[in-house]
Amino acid sequence: MTAEPTIRDPLEIERAEEARLRVAAGLAPLPRSGGEFAGFESVGLPDRPPQTDREQEVYTLDEGEMLVNMGPQHPSTHGVMRLVLKVRGEIVVDIDPVLGYLHRGIEKLCENATYTTVMTYVDPMDYLSAMHNEHAPAIAFEKLYGVKAPRRAEYIRALVVELNRVFSHGLMMGFLALDMGGLTPILYGFINRDEVVDLLSAISGQRMLFNFFRVGGVNFDANDEFFSRLGTWRAGVLKTIEMNERILTDNEIFRGRTIGMGVLSGKEAISLGVSGPNLRASGVPFDVRKAHPYSIYPELEFEVITQSGGDVYARYMQRVAELKQSIHLIDQIVDKMPHGPVQAQVPGIIRPKPGRAYAAVESPRGLYSVYAISDGGPNPYRFRMRDPSFISLQAIPKLMPGRLIADTMAVMASFDPVMGGVDK
Amino acid sequence: MDLLLGIGRFLLATMLLLLLTVPTAFVVIQMELKVIAQMQLRYGPNRIGPWGMFQSTIHGFKFLAKEDHMPDQADRATFTLAPWMVYMAAAMSMLVMPFAPGAIAADFNIGIVYFFAVIGLSVVGLLIAGWASYNKYSLLGGLRSAAQMVSYEIPLTLSVVGVVVLGGTLNFRELIGWQQAHGWMLLWQPVGLGIFYIASLAEINRTPFDMVEADSELVAGPFTEYSGMRFGFFFFAEYVALFIMSGIMAALFFGGWLAPWPFPAQLDGFGGTLYGLFWFFLKSYLFVFLAVWLRATLPRVRVDQLMGMAWKVLLPLAMLNLLVTAGVVVWLNL
Repeated sequence: MTAEPTIRDPLEIERAEEARLRVAAGLAPLPRSGGEFAGFESVGLPDRPPQTDREQEVYTLDEGEMLVNMGPQHPSTHGVMRLVLKVRGEIVVDIDPVLGYLHRGIEKLCENATYTTVMTYVDPMDYLSAMHNEHAPAIAFEKLYGVKAPRRAEYIRALVVELNRVFSHGLMMGFLALDMGGLTPILYGFINRDEVVDLLSAISGQRMLFNFFRVGGVNFDANDEFFSRLGTWRAGVLKTIEMNERILTDNEIFRGRTIGMGVLSGKEAISLGVSGPNLRASGVPFDVRKAHPYSIYPELEFEVITQSGGDVYARYMQRVAELKQSIHLIDQIVDKMPHGPVQAQVPGIIRPKPGRAYAAVESPRGLYSVYAISDGGPNPYRFRMRDPSFISLQAIPKLMPGRLIADTMAVMASFDPVMGGVDK
Repeated sequence: MDLLLGIGRFLLATMLLLLLTVPTAFVVIQMELKVIAQMQLRYGPNRIGPWGMFQSTIHGFKFLAKEDHMPDQADRATFTLAPWMVYMAAAMSMLVMPFAPGAIAADFNIGIVYFFAVIGLSVVGLLIAGWASYNKYSLLGGLRSAAQMVSYEIPLTLSVVGVVVLGGTLNFRELIGWQQAHGWMLLWQPVGLGIFYIASLAEINRTPFDMVEADSELVAGPFTEYSGMRFGFFFFAEYVALFIMSGIMAALFFGGWLAPWPFPAQLDGFGGTLYGLFWFFLKSYLFVFLAVWLRATLPRVRVDQLMGMAWKVLLPLAMLNLLVTAGVVVWLNL
């Protein structure tokens, strides 16, 4: 009778090999899971030796430290984000964000789609600002193809984009409160969103993934009924927002938890690439609509709003102020709305000349941009998107050490990340 | 014979109270569902029964149908014990609850001491639930509950000592009698009432002090790994505790079963019991409503702010309140 051959775990072989190589190279052997907390084994460690110095730093535990896996199925990680928290009691020592749980390969999908059908794929990226997602590729493709959208189309674009910003910022107020234990603001935020989405569906036919922008124009014109509904909405839009403000802005508990929490200085924010309201809340007056004007924004009157604090409260106040500014912009757009066609003459399948184009827009989360390369075919050769929430997330591991677990949620919500955009 | 009667009476009373906890929890949960829904501009449950009245009942029975899951590495004995401890702490404290004249299950001469001793037991249950679950969120929640309750029990108890010094009794019935003679305790101990209310919210883990559950931070705290009826017991205990704290506040500061001014304070006989029950439940559910209102309005405080408030604000204030009360009582020879 022969002995059964033992099957070795390939991971184990790899580990043994790595250890052998390290010893041969004269390096210290890698530490395995280090600490133990209150009788708990350190579960949650990756099932392999650390690959980078940073990983070794995070996953090596000192006495009294433990790893807490927050997400991807945690109630308040804004979708499917996973944060590995290294904590000492309740104090966060280090954070390792793990991304990619919602990756759908949208860039690659877009590269296999024709220029006109790209619009359907970019919608579900940052699902709270689908209109902005379509705006940047529309501008980029128009540059590539050398076509200009009619003026009325540009005005309608600006209108829907600002409407989108209103509900996105309104929801942020709610999510921030929800992550701090306030149950009600999110409901008011969704009432606000529902009203806006009714308008957007009236003009585009869709409620969430609008598929409204076209290369050289927009899909539908806005009729008189739409404008009368817009007027009704305009009269009552501030109601839910003000209800939220009454609950949050002067609330002693809310202020106590947000003022001075997660302070990001302007310098740090710039060096991390943070943009949009998060950057302006740190006092840097950078707004794509002013700095690199596109669409009809040069014709509208508005100031770049900034806050000085750079903390969670400043980011919240920044959103509230920008929301009101957007409503002000909508008023101006409706006043100036010209007549005319909404779609330029564009063939069904666009074949731009070889070349490259870049377009950036100010999305509710920051600078959202698209870089497209054409090789003369019907599909973009390369289609690259810069999503602002992906870049904002970099700030979180910098801000959290020394804070409490509860603050992780508040700081993360204040950056208003949308995981659909982060993971693409 | 007297002894047998006493035992029989005790058994009957405890059985009634245990049975009472279940509908109480249902009513409080239903209130929470409906009141918060109205505050959030939505309908709330409206399918089961007229106006959705039986939604919370169905919630309760739903727990019976759910899988009873226990984590592999959980400590089986303590994991099973914890829900009972928390539930019994809530149910036992109902024993001294002064519902109405003639409707107190056990009219102890040290009722107030008994009450605070028993209600404090729930922290042990939460702590062992957090420990036994073999889950880091549970453990953090359990530790939070221990820290929070130990901190808040001191100002809570001290604020009641002022009432006791003034009323000169540890018996709920006599205390209500004192309030009938001298006016509700609310007039004599306004600072004590404030401290008591804040500390009692923390004691029963209600928003804005719901550190222990903290659904956006710790998933569900010590209850994370519980399912089925075990979770149901925690859930019930929490809402029963809310009712009990409201009832005790009514008894200590708002005259218990005494009716407010334009009405006769008390009636005699069986009708008087019903009359007292009416006012007692009215006051208690008013405070339950207040807690639900707070939950719909306020965000949660942070765990260090919570502790800071207990030790730096409430405790000195409660001490001062007690000192002044005692001084006045001695000075005026009340």
